[in-house]
Amino acid sequence: MIYPHPVLPEFEYIRLKTAEEAVNFLRNHPHQSHPFLGGTDCFVAVRDRKIKPEYLVDLKPLSGFNDLSFDRQRGLTIGAAVSLNRLIASPDVQTLYPLIAAAAREVGSYSLRTRATLVGNLCNASPCGDTIAPCMVYQGTAHILGSTTPKDVPLVDFFKGPGETILDCGEIVQSVHLPLPPSGARGAYLSIGRNALGDLAIAAVTVLGFTGSSAASRYQFRIALSAVGPTVIFVEQAQRLLAEGPIDERALENAADIASQSCKPIDDIRSSARYRREMVRTLTHRALQKVWADLQGKS
Amino acid sequence: MSDTQNIPEVVGSDMRRVDVREKASGAAIFTDDVQFGSNLLHARIKRSLHPHALIKSIDISQAQALLGVKAVVTGDDFPGKIGLYLKDRNIFARDRVRFIGDPVAGVAAETEEIAERALDLIQVEYEPLPPIFHPLDAIKPDAILIHPDLGDYEVANFIFPEPGTNISNHFKIRKGDTESAWQKCTAVVEREYYIPHIQHVPIETHVAIAEVSHSGKITLWSSSQSPFAQRDLIAKTLGVSPSSIRVISHYVGGGFGCKAGVTMEALPIVIAMKVKGHPVKLRLTREEEFFTNFVRQALVIKLKVGCDKEGNILAMENTMYWDGGASTEYGVNITRAGGYSSTGPYDIPNVKTDSYCMYTNNTVGGPYRGFGMSELHTGIEQYMDELADEIGMDKLEFRLKNVVQDGDILATGMVMHPTGIMECIRKVAEAIDWGKPGQPGAPHKKRGKGIALMWKAPAMPPNPGSSATMKLNEDGTILLGVGGQELGQGAFTVAAQLAAATLGVPFDWVRITTPVDTDYSPYEWQTVASRLTWSMGNAVMAAAQDVRRQVFEVVSEAWEENPDDLDIVDGVVISKRSEREIPLRDFCVYGIPKENFDGWIGGPIYGRGKFMPTYVTGLDKETGQGKRAVVHYTTGAQAFEVEIDCDTGKLEVIRAAAAFDVGKAINPDLVKAQMEGGLVQGLSSALFEQMVFKDGEMQNPSFVDYRIATSVDLPREIQTFIVEVPQDDGPYGARGIGEHPMVPTVAGIANAIHEAVGIRLPGPPFTAEKIFMAMKDRKG
Amino acid sequence: MTVHRIQLTVNGIMEDLEVPGHMTLLMMLRENLALTGTKNGCEAGECGACTVLLNGEPVNSCLVLAVECDGAEVLTVEGLTENGSLDALQKAFIAQNAIQCGFCTPGMLISAYALLQRNPRPDEQEIAEVLVGNLCRCTGYARIIRAIWDAAGS
Repeated sequence: MIYPHPVLPEFEYIRLKTAEEAVNFLRNHPHQSHPFLGGTDCFVAVRDRKIKPEYLVDLKPLSGFNDLSFDRQRGLTIGAAVSLNRLIASPDVQTLYPLIAAAAREVGSYSLRTRATLVGNLCNASPCGDTIAPCMVYQGTAHILGSTTPKDVPLVDFFKGPGETILDCGEIVQSVHLPLPPSGARGAYLSIGRNALGDLAIAAVTVLGFTGSSAASRYQFRIALSAVGPTVIFVEQAQRLLAEGPIDERALENAADIASQSCKPIDDIRSSARYRREMVRTLTHRALQKVWADLQGKS
Repeated sequence: MSDTQNIPEVVGSDMRRVDVREKASGAAIFTDDVQFGSNLLHARIKRSLHPHALIKSIDISQAQALLGVKAVVTGDDFPGKIGLYLKDRNIFARDRVRFIGDPVAGVAAETEEIAERALDLIQVEYEPLPPIFHPLDAIKPDAILIHPDLGDYEVANFIFPEPGTNISNHFKIRKGDTESAWQKCTAVVEREYYIPHIQHVPIETHVAIAEVSHSGKITLWSSSQSPFAQRDLIAKTLGVSPSSIRVISHYVGGGFGCKAGVTMEALPIVIAMKVKGHPVKLRLTREEEFFTNFVRQALVIKLKVGCDKEGNILAMENTMYWDGGASTEYGVNITRAGGYSSTGPYDIPNVKTDSYCMYTNNTVGGPYRGFGMSELHTGIEQYMDELADEIGMDKLEFRLKNVVQDGDILATGMVMHPTGIMECIRKVAEAIDWGKPGQPGAPHKKRGKGIALMWKAPAMPPNPGSSATMKLNEDGTILLGVGGQELGQGAFTVAAQLAAATLGVPFDWVRITTPVDTDYSPYEWQTVASRLTWSMGNAVMAAAQDVRRQVFEVVSEAWEENPDDLDIVDGVVISKRSEREIPLRDFCVYGIPKENFDGWIGGPIYGRGKFMPTYVTGLDKETGQGKRAVVHYTTGAQAFEVEIDCDTGKLEVIRAAAAFDVGKAINPDLVKAQMEGGLVQGLSSALFEQMVFKDGEMQNPSFVDYRIATSVDLPREIQTFIVEVPQDDGPYGARGIGEHPMVPTVAGIANAIHEAVGIRLPGPPFTAEKIFMAMKDRKG
Repeated sequence: MTVHRIQLTVNGIMEDLEVPGHMTLLMMLRENLALTGTKNGCEAGECGACTVLLNGEPVNSCLVLAVECDGAEVLTVEGLTENGSLDALQKAFIAQNAIQCGFCTPGMLISAYALLQRNPRPDEQEIAEVLVGNLCRCTGYARIIRAIWDAAGS
């Protein structure tokens, strides 16, 4: 029985001038220090005694961490400290990366999203994190600062398991970069929780569809499942099926069935594996139907 | 007491609440807002990690040595037992712990953080005992005794524990002859149902500050529905006079029953005794609020109901096993209330009820809005639907045929008073177009309609008193003293309306003196049972009548007129005979000078009033029969139209309707606000809420996984109807409404689900997952 | 334990304080400044009773450190009343009887205030969605939504 602290327990607040100083501090105080951005996951974890840091290092003021910039060649760069509300409000995000906005809107509440960050969501690596799959569907990479030269790690290689990323002690993510999505891409992010809104996802599906001349069906789909496995699951078999074609209602149903069979849900306090599997089918089907209709120009 | 003919305008009007300006501006003081000086200490409680265990030893030496710690207490410091109806609780556990969360030791320190750290330094050695987590296990003949000394506990004379068992109360009804009645039934429905534990989830968690002065006077600031009951119970446990304890209660941020009686408030008092002169504050975290204090008991209900071929219900057999938890000092009365109201609002000639309050090693069951009625009606109202189906009658007609009416003999032998339940039923049925199938919004959705009734009597001892005081200020305005609490239900506003109406002054001349303070406020049993408008309202009216009598005494002497010719209108005393006038402010403190200033008449006017029902009788221990079991019943009905998404199981309430017979709505908009808020709380318990336990440990003690209804989970439309069939001894005919609006909701929704998709789940919450999987399993 | 000196504006008034690193904005407001209108309901960012405006945006003050607010502007429920006059939202809540126990009210008002600053004419769905992180147990929410709608219209 773990009783959370009545208030936040004592720790030292550390704010440094440069990312290099921050990285060094974290490396020099292994297991005693923890970086934080919005605090919405970190402070809760501290209160719940999941982590017991003596030092919390605030990364928000660091240079490059607050940038939100779009470049027609390269794509979108989201600084670690950029809040979910800021992302949702960005015209570039709304028009070109709408799945990020759609998923971000599912997180918590408006007030929480003033503080919660996308990078924080990624680094928390919760299996039911809403924004993770859309970032992966947009083929994002994480720009990581550490003791050696900065490195860019594709998000598909970033997650190891529930709550676990490839970040070593002292490594921090400065930003996430999303390349330009394929032209004319359409997508859907659908999730289901216990309440109508604001709950953690019991199951979620991200679908992106776009024209792809290399595909026999002339369309390509990326289908990613959240909350039904230790990390995000791409349903490659269904993606292949739709690339082969022909794409019709039957194919969409088949793809949804495959998604349902491909996921690895568990029973936990929020839901059962059985129900999650069923919802993956329902949500995948609905998402594919919507995206397919959008691609055809009929919404 | 009530005059239902000449009703002053302020009664029945939507007067503005007297507390909202403070609450809207953030100025309203709640208990955690009270400012103390630098001698304030903070308390934290060390709690049992075992559901059932003997305490072998407790070592507090390291905790005591921690810098900043001022006191550490354990059960050794305090032997007394405490309890409202059954004294079965130690303030700190003594020889054993009985649930996870049971207080074992307490620390007072300079900061909450130091106190928290000290808890880790307290070493407790336990010897685990076999735990019991289900009432049906608790009742087995070989079950371990959770309270082996049950026979020694002081108990109220209307509660019947069975020592040597885990049964802390067994309430029975034996009316008529159910055995032979079954033979005459054409249709019989027999079912078992389980309603899980839920918690009240007040947005303000419990908080209490206790100070023991060097002279031994105890002051307790608590967020409490029961300042006087707290004073009384704590005084008895400590063996002191109530006059040496002062309880001060500010606004309560939601009670719903969890802040009634004494729970965590006793803990800081015991700690404060070790640090005299220091106020000691204890605040429950949200997690602690979920499972260490009061929860709503879980219930196993076994029902058998039968009717003849015309649809007349002939017999009911109702066996209820209440999961009372580790202590049932309050819960025993829920068992009783569930027992005497066990038929629901129906006229049933043959009734056999056994209502058992079981000790288990689960969280402590206590009063929760409805006091057993939600759990009871969740069972009954579903079976009524099923019985109607069995006999081939429309569910509405079946209910109208059997519903209780004025003059009926109830299961306890009490004669039912006039009630508007039939009007309630008709109103809600009409509001959702009963009988016309709803049109689903999409091909994968289905709609259904359901109805459920309810009744509830205030569950109290037979002699719960109210009193009120009325002080007149120099300008004729009133300071109204009450002992009832404003929990949000509007009690202060209704009291002010009744005071103004009865006295004859404008509404905004009346101010309620807050906070409720047992040293200065008049006695009030508790703010529970939906009793304040009726009981405290009567006391307020009596106080106003007392003031009128004093006023007329003075003025009639000064004018040499008959007091019967005088009246007070808008704060002015007038003579109906001579048409002379004198404003109250001219004399209500200073009196009236005689002619030529040849002396004075009168002086400061201070009125007082009381109300206590005097007609409630006991009930026979074996049969539950007695002349008057309860003071009155408020009845009502709700109806729902739901829409279910068959691909996800998600349920949306399209239309909801509620109607309750409140006798007289003193403030109609506040009555409607109760109906709406209660319906949504009922909806929340129907669709989302459940305390999930594993080996006695709550798995979801936070908002993350204990879900409640939020702003997006609402019915598309809620219609509320006030029905008024006056209560003979209520203020202008009024009865209570506070608890009733959440009672029929779970059953109403269950019935609507059944009509939509043909399934009945074995218990709430009716989550999307459960609905979906039940539909899927039925197909497969 | 290091103590940090911070300067910030609270309800238009400049405050100069010393706070430990782990003190939340909620605790600083309630204990250092005795601004007890903002409430503590869960300390986990779930119930919204602690909602205040931080640099014009609503936050759960139980999950913000006081030290992070150096140089910031904070608005609490007490700051909505100017010179003793209630603002339009507060009046609308009163008129609709959208206040019962009052414990969720400060958080609701701040969330609503922030919404109307962003969007002076929200529809009912948007209002409902914005309030998802402000839990209420008494009113059933509908009157609160109506009050905000009314205030927006006026």
